[in-house]
Order: sequence, then structure tokens, then C-alpha cells
Amino acid sequence: MKAYLLYPEKEWANTKPYFDEKSVIQDLGLRILYMMSARKVIMEGEVVKAIDKPDLFIEETMKKVMVVPLESAEDIIYRQEILQDCLANPQFIISLYDISQEILKGWDNLGRRAKEKVGTRNSMANLITDIRLLQLFVHGLKRIKDLFSEYDGKLASQGLSALKERLYQVFPDKLQEECFKIIEDISFFAQDPEAENGTKEVVKRPRLVVECSLGGGLKLQSFNLEEVSTVEKKYRNPNSAISKVQGYLQSRTPDSVTIQSDSPLREHAVHMEFEIVQYIMTYCNTFSVRFYSFFDQLCLQTAFYRGAVNLKEHMNRFQLETCFPTVGDQGTLRFEDLKEVVMCMEQRIVAVGNTCDLENTMLLIVTGANQGGKSTFLRSIGIAQVMMQCGLMVTAKSFESGIFPALFTHFTRREDSEMNSGRLDEELGRMSRIIEHLGERSMILLNESFATTTEKEGSLIAYDIVKALTEAGVKILTVTHLLSFAQRMYNETEEGQGIEFFSAQRLEDGKRTFKMIQHAPELTSFGLDLYERIVRNS
Amino acid sequence: MEFTSILDLRKSPYKEVSRPSFFMDLNLNQIIDRIKQLWGEDVTGFYYYLPADKECEDYRREIFCDVKKQDVYPVLLGFVKKMKAYREIGANKESVKLQMQKTAWHIQEVVVYGEALQELLISLQEVSLVSSGMQSFRDFLQEYLVSGEYQDMLQEAKLLWKELTGIRLKLTYENNLVILAQEEAEGAYDRFLKECFGQVEHHMKNPFGEDVALNRLEQEILSILMEKKPDFFEKCEEFQNRYYEYAKPQILDFASEIIYYLSFYGFEQKMQELGFAFAAPQTDEKCEMYADGLYDLALACVNSREGKAVVSNNMVYGEQESFFVVTGPNQGGKTTFARSLGQLIYFTKMGLDVPALNANVHSFSEILTHFSVEESIETGRGKLQEELMRLKPMMEERCRNAFVIINELFTTAANYDACIMGQRVLQHFIGQQCRGIYVTHLAELTKAHESVVSMCATLDDAGIQTHEIIRREAGDVACAINQVNKYRLTYEQLKERLS
Repeated sequence: MKAYLLYPEKEWANTKPYFDEKSVIQDLGLRILYMMSARKVIMEGEVVKAIDKPDLFIEETMKKVMVVPLESAEDIIYRQEILQDCLANPQFIISLYDISQEILKGWDNLGRRAKEKVGTRNSMANLITDIRLLQLFVHGLKRIKDLFSEYDGKLASQGLSALKERLYQVFPDKLQEECFKIIEDISFFAQDPEAENGTKEVVKRPRLVVECSLGGGLKLQSFNLEEVSTVEKKYRNPNSAISKVQGYLQSRTPDSVTIQSDSPLREHAVHMEFEIVQYIMTYCNTFSVRFYSFFDQLCLQTAFYRGAVNLKEHMNRFQLETCFPTVGDQGTLRFEDLKEVVMCMEQRIVAVGNTCDLENTMLLIVTGANQGGKSTFLRSIGIAQVMMQCGLMVTAKSFESGIFPALFTHFTRREDSEMNSGRLDEELGRMSRIIEHLGERSMILLNESFATTTEKEGSLIAYDIVKALTEAGVKILTVTHLLSFAQRMYNETEEGQGIEFFSAQRLEDGKRTFKMIQHAPELTSFGLDLYERIVRNS
Repeated sequence: MEFTSILDLRKSPYKEVSRPSFFMDLNLNQIIDRIKQLWGEDVTGFYYYLPADKECEDYRREIFCDVKKQDVYPVLLGFVKKMKAYREIGANKESVKLQMQKTAWHIQEVVVYGEALQELLISLQEVSLVSSGMQSFRDFLQEYLVSGEYQDMLQEAKLLWKELTGIRLKLTYENNLVILAQEEAEGAYDRFLKECFGQVEHHMKNPFGEDVALNRLEQEILSILMEKKPDFFEKCEEFQNRYYEYAKPQILDFASEIIYYLSFYGFEQKMQELGFAFAAPQTDEKCEMYADGLYDLALACVNSREGKAVVSNNMVYGEQESFFVVTGPNQGGKTTFARSLGQLIYFTKMGLDVPALNANVHSFSEILTHFSVEESIETGRGKLQEELMRLKPMMEERCRNAFVIINELFTTAANYDACIMGQRVLQHFIGQQCRGIYVTHLAELTKAHESVVSMCATLDDAGIQTHEIIRREAGDVACAINQVNKYRLTYEQLKERLS
């Protein structure tokens, strides 16, 4: 049984994350996103009442799933549709996630982890565990089926309808009834603990009918199982008068062996019960086994959507408009009012939205004033790219981009950049490793790369690398203060080469708008403006 | 000819025989271990028992020819397999205590015994057998199986067994009672489970346990059944008493002794698949004794696991030639050659095939070996003394016409003494009409007697051992050239390295 909620025909395998996904997470600040997705926003009417405690499983899941990119538009749409269902029916995904969580917890309580280590427990205990597990799975599956029927007609996505269909196929109502019957038939064997302490009025006793023949040495063999059922009896003290009378009558039953409660025969009878139940469970276990990985997968996969729903609630809380991105050509980068969500959430501000409309562009060089929002711009694109590629919504009015499963970030944070060869060495080493891992559809985000050396050197390095990579078909978005590099690129670029230049907008009066506009690079990053503003005003 | 044993013309006493002294020297134990491993049962005892004379050797050789036939080998394998099942039933019969159970095992035992023999006879009648051993066994078997007593016994056993296994019982367990009924049922719950979960069919383990001995509950159930069918069970017991000792000892012996041939032939086929040749040796005393492509089978067993081949040699004893004296470089294959010769003689004596492309082998009274061993710490004897102590009984024994293998004798003695002693040993054995091989570092021994042939381990042009042994005068062969080569210490090499 497969959940198939993250991919159309594939279960989650935690393979092929972004190369050096730790850097991607750190450079884009993704941590805040999966932290938010782990906390539910508790509303009271239209007002946010509280933020719930974090669900660490959801946090872990978001962290894992977000950095494994989808590789096709179909896969992205597949998740988007499921997520739309979940956003429209939040209680549905909450219940589905809760049920699968409960099943896994119940399984853990049955000693799942211990069993996986070593089979230290005896076979009798194992058998009872198998029965309890069957009960757990059968009841759990029934609850999931009931949940789906409750939302009948409300779920439009291919993923959820196919899951419902598969459930009914693998666990049709007839089989459900049969499973409940078997559980009832063998209930004498794994009685509830309170029934076993003898205080109950009613005790469960087996009725077993087998057929067999005689084999070598008169050994009974070739057993067929004819009947298994549990009969409820009124509990009687074995020493009571009525019990004794009954015992006497029994001993007169022709062609029968009486199993006295403390005779060695009792042991053999118990063993017989054990073997018969064991046999029944070998059948049932083939059923249980089919769901071993399913419940793990279901829990993880629903956790993703559950987290996405939470994340959306937080975006609402920060009044961030969202949309589901569209997959475009590799050279397309088009968005309207894209906001850097991490910064908004972290600093609790509403950031400036950027708009961009590029086609056939494989290299974007952003230059311009310091503190002008260049890095924020680059990050917002990176975050949106990651969110699109894992099927999530993005914080923009619209967003369209190509798919780049090989997404790399190469960020140098100004504040800790020192000019020494050790750091340049590290930077170059990182670049070299990225180049080793380039794939077919690669995108590199360069943020102030090679800032750890002089501008002249840095420009030369950047020029060679960027030129070579661009020629190799890698999409590069770079924010740089290496103005001689940017100038050189600009001077050599002809129309239609797929290279664009952006700059932080600067009004006539030198005021920053924090918006990026198409603009030729200039030889100053207008640090003077900043200097003027800060020094003069003081 | 009356049939006695498939191993021997007389009643075979192989079980009491201990390991021949040459066994370890020739590394035969390694070969037998491999045979044992392939067969899956211990067969070592057979290989310790050497035929008493040439007649017995030929008797076995003929039988082995028959066993190897494509239509005979599988028949005998099938029979042995059946008889293994038969023995297991017998073991069960021994292990149980309940009389009625013993009786049931007994009936089954007779049925299996009868079926195995019947099948064997029919199959053997369809093939042509040339050996007197197999022919006389077939005649014996036929005579036995047509006898009225055997026929009656088998028929009666089959009827009883059929009735016994036809009984169907229905057991109902409820209310602390197990109720027995003689009726058939169809496994309704089995069907229900299969319908629910489909695909693979599972089988219930015996709810009374797999133990051969019946537990108390089974015994109780059985006693109810016996009360219900007293006549039948009485008949069974009467049958067992009447045919208590029924099996013919010759048949049982045949079933175990034929394994000797089967296990070797299985091994031989396996080795042939791996590229190692076997030949049925000629035994013409009037022709020269020779072997082509002779190799050490024990080494082949080891090498075959690593996919490596072995070196083979050709050898011939001219009419007047008695001893090979082998000299040459260390690690040159001298000992291996000596062993392969010993194995040639041994397997010929045993009536089996030999590790060679083809061969003519004379008959020898016995095989005598003397291989140098590590100094014995326990006794504290010096090596020379120890060697002489072992040599003494070899030379005292009535060793006319023996095959003698001596490997590096007197290495610790002074050269002069060793030469004289070696010559005396050689002359002694030659005087006793023995043949053999003497591996030594003393070139002088090649001149010990006119019937001695000098052979040498050879090196190739680069000074590397070829492991081939050829007839050649013993010379001052540079034993160390290969070691020098290996360590790159020749003049040219040193020049090159130091330049």
C-alpha cells in the first residue's frame, strides 16, 4: 500500500536533496519557515489568539521535504493540487495526520522499536503483539476510510482521490468485515487485560475444530482448520458445585478427552490454541505487512501538508499575499510583488515587493547602492524558487520560473568577510565543489561572491567563472559589488545574449526605494549617499 | 558367483580398519574431505580400507566401470536416497517408546524398504552390467524379491499402511473437551483465510508439536481411536511380531557400501567440470608403467577453489627402472610430483579413477611413504633419530613389491653420511623388488643403482620454477636464481637500480 501524496507514483525516499542543502537552508534563511510550519495559529474569529506549541515531527519533515526539489511541472502541480484541497479543508488534513500519528504511537507502544532491534521476546508475546497490531491497523484504516467518506465530494486533487481509491481497493468493506470477524474469532487468545484477572462476569473460551490424518508413527498430521470461534461463558469458580457437576457430565461425553485445568493435557491444549492462532496470524500478517511502510509514509507525507497549512496561516497573519507559482521556461523569471517571506516573519515587517519580467535570460547581474535591498531581492527569488520546487505557495501576486533541481547558493556575508587568503581559498573551494556537482538544470545564486579579495582580483575571478558557467548553460543570478566585473560584462554584452542588469532603484534625490529596476551598472555603489545620510545627519 | 559385498570378494571388514600410515603424507585426507563435503556424509572409512590383493582390486575396478555408466549412476543415487529415508524411519522407530507407535513405524519401514528394492531391481534389469560384483548383486536381489515370503510381507505391509493413512479424524476442542470423530472435513476456515488474504497459501504447523514421540494429548486421542478400531490395530501388531527381523543384511550393506563408488564418482564429475582430468588406469603388467598428465589431486582440490590450475607431468618407468631420484630447486614441484605418483598408485589400488589423462599402473603389495616431519618436541628426539625410527619398520616389513615414496631423508645428517645411508636405503628397496620415488637434495644418489632414474625439477629461462619434473642428469642447478630475481639483486638489476 502506498500513500503517494508527495509524488504521483513514488513514496518519499529522502534522496537527492540540493547539493550542500545546509548552505541553501542557511543562506536563504529557510529555518524560520519550517519552524513556523510546525506551529498552528489558533484563531478566535478573525483574531489570532495564540500560537500552538511546535510539532517537532512536522518541523523535521518540512526541513527534509523542502530541500528535495521536484523535477517536473506535473510533480509540482500534483502537490499544489493536494495542498489546495488541504487549504480548503484544513480539518481534513489535521485529522488524517492525527490518525496516522496515533497509529504510529500505538505501534511504538507495542514495542515496534524493541522488536526491530532483536527478537528477545518469546513467541507467545510476539503473537499477541501481532494480533494487537492487526487490530490497530484495521481500526486505523477504517478511521481513514471514514474520514475520506466524510469529505466525499470536497476533495478535488488527483493525489487524494487516488489514495481514497487505493484504500478501498486494498481494504474494501468486505475485507474490513472479514478482518473484524477474525479478530473476534480469535479474541479468546488475546483477551483484554481486565478480562484476564478473573473478576469479569464473562470469560472467552475457544471452539476449535480441526481435521487430520495419521502419518508416520501414528503422528497426527495434514491438519485442516474447520472452525475457529470465541464463545463467551459466564465465569464460574472451578471449585463450585455446579462446576463439578458439569465436569462429571463432561467426563461421560463419549469419545472425548477431558482437559483438566491443572493437568499436563492443559499445556498441550494451550499449545494447540497457540499454533492455530499462529497459523491464522500468518495469513493476517501478510495483510499487516503491506501497511508497515504505508503508515510511516502517510504520517510523513501528511505532516508536509499539515505544515504547509500552518505556514499559510502564518503568512496570513503577516498579511502576505500568496500564490501558487507557474512553471515556465528555463530563461523565464517573472513575478509580481514578490516579498522576502523570511525577513517578513523574522523582523515582523511587511517588506517591499519586487516585480520582474524577464525572458530568455540566463544571467542576471544585480548591482547598486549598498543597503538598497539587493541581497533581499536575491534571497526572495531563491526562497520562492525552493518553495515552488517543493510544491508550496510563494509570497507574491504571481511567480513564474523554470525548474532547477540543481540549485546552489554561494553567499558571502559582508559582515564576516575579511580579506585573507584562507577565506578566499574556502570560497574557491566551495565554488569548485559546486562545479563538480552541476547538473543538467542548474541555477547558482551568487551573493557578493569573491568579496574576500580586492575588487580587481575578485572581478577577474568572477568574470572567468561566470562567463564559463554561462556558456555551459547554467543560470546565474548574482548580486555583486564587483563593479569592474559588472561593467566588463555590460560592455561585452550584446542584445539577445540573455544577460540582464538590475540595479537598486535610486530616486533623483538619492532616496532608496528598495526596489530593483533594470539598469546599467555604474561605477559607484553610492556608498557616498549612505555616508552623506548618516554622517551629515548626525 | 554368490554375492557377499560390493567392496570385496570376501565379507568386507572395512569398518574396523584404521587410517593407513601413508594417508597424510600423500595429502589424501584433503581429497577425502572434499569428497565427504560434496557427498554430505562421512565416507572416510571406505578410503582407509585397501583391497587385499589384485583380484579384489580388479573386482572393484569393474564395479566402478558399471557405476559410472550414465544409466546406472542415477539409479544407484536414487536407491541410496530412498535408503536414507528408510534409515530415518528406523531411527524414529528406535526413538519412540509407545509400542503402537513402534508398530506403525515398522509397517512404514517395510513399505519403504520394499519400494526401494523393487524400484532398484526394475532399473537394474534395464541396464547392461559387466562387473561380476554388480551382476551377482542383481541376481541376488532378483532371487530375493521373487521369494514368496518377501512378496507376502510386502503386500500385507502395503495394505496395512494404506488403511492407516486413510483414517481421517475430526477433533473438536471446546469446553475443556477434545471430542474425536471419524469423519472428513474440508477445511472451511482455511478456505475463508485464503479468500480473505489470497495469494500465498500457508500451512498450519502441527498443533501437537513436531516431536516424533506423541504427547499425552495425542496419546489420549490415539487410545480412543484404538478402542474404536481394535481389530485393525491388533493386525498391525501381529504383523510386526511376525516380520520383526526382515531386512537382508547383504542388502543393507550394499546400500551403505555402494556410497563408496557414488561419492567418488560425484567428486570426479565435479572436478572434471572444473577442468581436471581423470582416467580409468590400465593394469597391464606386461607393459611399461606410465602416466600422462599426472597431477596432485589434493593440490587440485585446493586450487580449484581459487580457480587455479595445477602442473601436470608425464612419467614412465622403463622395464629395468625401479626408482626415480628427483633433485632440483626448492619449491620446484618435487614433493608434489612424488605425491601425485603415490595418489596414482593408491587410487588404482582402490579400483577408482586416477588424476591423469591416461595411465598404465602395475600392482603393488602396498604403499610405503616416508616424509620428513617437524622435529618432535614431545619425545625430544633429534630429527635424524626420529627419521630412522620411522624408517626401521618400513624396511623390516615384508615389503616385497611395494611402492616406496621417500621425501627428503637425512637432511640433518652430514653430507657424506647422508649419501651412504641414502644409497643403502635405495639398494635395500630395490633388492626387495620395490619401485618408488626418492626426493632428495643429494645428486650423488642418482648413481646409487643402475636401475635409478635421475629426474630434475626445472626452471625456465628467467629462472622461475616451472614445477615440471623431467628426466635429466642431476647438476649444479642454481637453486637461488629465482629468489635473486625476485629481489632484483642480479648484476644488471643492481647496475640499473644504482645508476
